Amino acid sequence: MPVSRSNSRLKTARNGPRAARPGAAFYDLDGTLVDLNLVHAALFVQSNLGEWSARIGYLLAFLARAPRLYLAERDDRRVLNAVLFESLQGVSADRLLHLGREYCERVLIRHLYPQGVELLRANRDAGLEPVIVSGSPDFIVAPLAEYLGATAFAANRLAMLGGRATGRLAEPIMAGEEKARWCERFAEERKLDLAASWGYADSYYDLPFLAAIGHPVAVNPDRKLSRTAASRHWPVVHFDPSRFEEAKRDESGAADAGHDFERAPVRRGNGGAAHGAS
Amino acid sequence: MARPEAKLKELKPAELRHEVGARKDLVVTLNRRSEHRLIAYGEDFLFEKLPAGTRVIYPAPPLDPLADPDQAIRYALLRPENADPLFAQLDPNMRVTIAIDDISLPLPPMRRPDIRERILNQLLQTLADYGVDDVHLILATSLHRRMTEAEIRRAVGERAFRQFWPERLYNFDAENRSELTMLGKTDHGEEVWLSKRAAESDLLLYVNINLVPMDGGHKSVAVGLAPYQSLRHHHNAATLRDSHSYMDPTRSALHRSADRMGAVVNQNVKVFTIETAINSNMYGSMLDFLHKNEDQFSEWDHARLSGFRWTLRNMSNDLRRQALHRYTAPYGMTGVWAGETQAVHQKALAKVYQQYAVPVKGQSDILIVGVPYISPYNVSSIMNPVLVQCMGLGYLFNMYRNKPLVRQGGTMIVCHPLRDEFQPEHHPSYIEFFHRCLAETNEATELEERFEREFARNPTYIHMYRYGHAYHGVHPFYMWYWGEPARQHVGRVIVAGCEEPAVAARMGWEAADTLDQAIAMATSELGRSASITYLHLPPIVIADVD
Repeated sequence: MPVSRSNSRLKTARNGPRAARPGAAFYDLDGTLVDLNLVHAALFVQSNLGEWSARIGYLLAFLARAPRLYLAERDDRRVLNAVLFESLQGVSADRLLHLGREYCERVLIRHLYPQGVELLRANRDAGLEPVIVSGSPDFIVAPLAEYLGATAFAANRLAMLGGRATGRLAEPIMAGEEKARWCERFAEERKLDLAASWGYADSYYDLPFLAAIGHPVAVNPDRKLSRTAASRHWPVVHFDPSRFEEAKRDESGAADAGHDFERAPVRRGNGGAAHGAS
Repeated sequence: MARPEAKLKELKPAELRHEVGARKDLVVTLNRRSEHRLIAYGEDFLFEKLPAGTRVIYPAPPLDPLADPDQAIRYALLRPENADPLFAQLDPNMRVTIAIDDISLPLPPMRRPDIRERILNQLLQTLADYGVDDVHLILATSLHRRMTEAEIRRAVGERAFRQFWPERLYNFDAENRSELTMLGKTDHGEEVWLSKRAAESDLLLYVNINLVPMDGGHKSVAVGLAPYQSLRHHHNAATLRDSHSYMDPTRSALHRSADRMGAVVNQNVKVFTIETAINSNMYGSMLDFLHKNEDQFSEWDHARLSGFRWTLRNMSNDLRRQALHRYTAPYGMTGVWAGETQAVHQKALAKVYQQYAVPVKGQSDILIVGVPYISPYNVSSIMNPVLVQCMGLGYLFNMYRNKPLVRQGGTMIVCHPLRDEFQPEHHPSYIEFFHRCLAETNEATELEERFEREFARNPTYIHMYRYGHAYHGVHPFYMWYWGEPARQHVGRVIVAGCEEPAVAARMGWEAADTLDQAIAMATSELGRSASITYLHLPPIVIADVD
C-alpha cells in the first residue's frame, strides 16, 4: 500500500546514534504469536470449571456478558479484559494455574504461528531477548513464556482474596498505554535500549506499545493498525501458515508432479529448423 | 573482390541506420531557437528549455525485431555456441533446473508473450520430448523481492505456470539455508554459494533477458541464484568503486568478480545459457514521441505530449502510479543465443551495444539526467530516495564506455521530485537505512562497516524477504554502493525540482526548485562557459565517450 510521509517520532527514535546497550524483542500474544484471542482463553477456562452442570452456569453467565464484551472490544481493551474475567470470581489460584497450563499445552501451543516462533528464535539468536507483553492473564502467559524461552513477560493478574479470584483484574491493567509504560520501566531496569528494540503487535489498541519501541512491526494488523503502520512507514508482516509451508517446500514430492507438455518418442539427431538467430 | 559500394548495397536501410559509426545525428547541439526538451521527472515529465550550446544525446531508433522469434529460439537451441545441442544433452533420468531472470528485467515489463514464456515453452517441450521429468523452474531473484503469483504467471506463461506452480516453479530463497550449498572459492577467496537444487542438477538452464550490457553472462547464475554470502564479495563499496562502468564488463570489477565466481559454478555444474537481446522499443504507438528529437515534433506529437502531461497531472498519486506501472512495452527480440555462458554472452553483448551505443566526443562539465518512475527495484512500487540515488548515480551516470559523460569534479543534475516516500511492504529496510544510517553518514565504506551486517542478518527483514515481498535487508546498502563510482567522480549533485530539500541534504545532494535554478547553481561555480550534456531518456543510450 503506498504511503506518503514518515512519522516524525519514528525518525527521532531512529535517527539518534545507536547506544551500546542491547535491545530486546517485545511481543504481544493474542493475534500476534497465536491465532487465538483472549475470549477463546476465557471460554476454555470457564468451560473447564467444575462439573457439567456448573460449566453450563459459567457459560450462560459468559453469554449474558456478550453485549458488554462486544462494546468493550470496540471501545476499550481495558474494559474488555475486566469484563472477561469477572466470571472467574471464586475460582482458586491453584485451579487457575492448572487450567492455564492445560490451555497452553492443549490449545495455545498448537495455535502458535510457526513463522512467529521462527522469528522469535531468530531474534534471540541475533541478540534480542524475547519478552511477552500481553493482556492475557498470567496463569496462561507464564507457561507459554516458558515454552517459548522468553526471559520475561508482562500479563494481567487476577486479584486474589484468600487464595480465590475476586473477579477483578489487579491494577495496573495491561492494555493500551500501560503496555508502553511497562516496556519503558522494564527497559530501564534491565538497562535495555528501547530504540534498538523491536516490538510486534496486531491491534490498533497496541499503538502506544508499538510507538514506544524503536522498531515497531505490525503483525497481521487490523484495518486501523494497518493504516497507521502505512502512514508511519512501519514494517508489516503477515504470519500465515500456508506461506510458511510454501517456503519450507519439500522437494522430494515435487518430482512426482505431472508433466503436461506433450510427450513424443525420444528422437536422436538434428530436428533441423534453420533460422537466423540474430 | 567485391567493391565497397556493392557491399553497401547488401545492407538493408534499417541496418545502415544502426551502424554505430553512423549515429552522429543522435548527438544534437541546441541553439536559441531549439525546442524545449522532454525530461523524465519521476511519475511526470518536464518539458524545459535548455541553454543554447547544450549537447543532447538521443538513443538510437529500435533495431528491427526478429521476424519469427520462436523459430530463432529453436535454431539457437539446435545450434548452440561451444556446446552440444540441447536435445543431445538430455537423458530421461536426469535432473534439470531452469533458472529464469526475475521481474527486474526488462523495464517496463514487456507485452505478452514475454520472451521467457517463449523460451520456456520450447525448453519444456524439448525436455518432455526426451522424457526428462525431474524439472524445477526457479525465479533467479537473488536478494530481490519474491515475485507474486500473478507476476510469475505473466513471465513464464500460462502453460508452464499451470504445470509447475507452485511445487516446481518458485522464487529462489537466499535465506533457506537447507537449500544452499557452497561450491568452493575463487582464487581471490570469494565464496561461491548457489541454490542447492541448481548445484545438484545434471543440467542447469538459464533463461536471460539482456536489457543493458550489465546483465547476463556469469552474472546471471552466480548472482541470480546466490545468497548474501556470495554477493558480499562484489556488491561492496571497494569493488563497485573499481567499476568503470557497469555497462562495460571489460572495465568492471563487479563483472570480473562475477566471472571468477561463474567459472567456479561452471566447474561444478553443467550450465547451458540462453541469452536474448531486445530492441529499444520501450514506448510504442501513442507514446512514441517520448523517443523523438523534440525539434522534429509534429503538431500531433505536441498534442499528444500535452494530453499525456495533463492526464498525469490530473490523476491522484495512487492512480497515476498504478497507470504508469501497468504500462507494458512492445519490445521486440533482436537476438537469441544458447550454449556456453561466455560465448553466448559475447554475442548478446555485441547486439546490445549495436542497439544502444552512440559515439560522443568528449566529456562535459555538467550532466543532466531525468530519473523516471521505474527502476529494476520498484516494479509496481515507489521510487524511494535511495532508489533515486541508485538510478541517478548508479545507472544513468554509468551509461558510458571509456570515459564518463561528465568530467572529474563536474556537476550532475538529477531531475526528480525526491520525496520522503517509501513502500514498506517492498522496501522495509530502506526506511531504516534512510532514516537511521544515512542520518549518521553517507560514506559508503563507513555504512558497510557499521551497519551492513546488522541489516543483512536482521530477522524481521529476513522474514519479510522470505515470506512477504520485501527486498532483502541488505539491499539498500547495495543500492547505495551502486552510486559509489559517481560519488567518487563528480564534485556536486543537484536535484532539480526537488520537493523536499531535507531528503536531498541527507544524501549529500543540493536541492533546486527548478531545472533553471539547478543549471544556474552549477554554472555559478563552473562558469557560464561550462559545457552541458543532457542524456535523453527514455529509452536507453550508452555513450561511447571519445
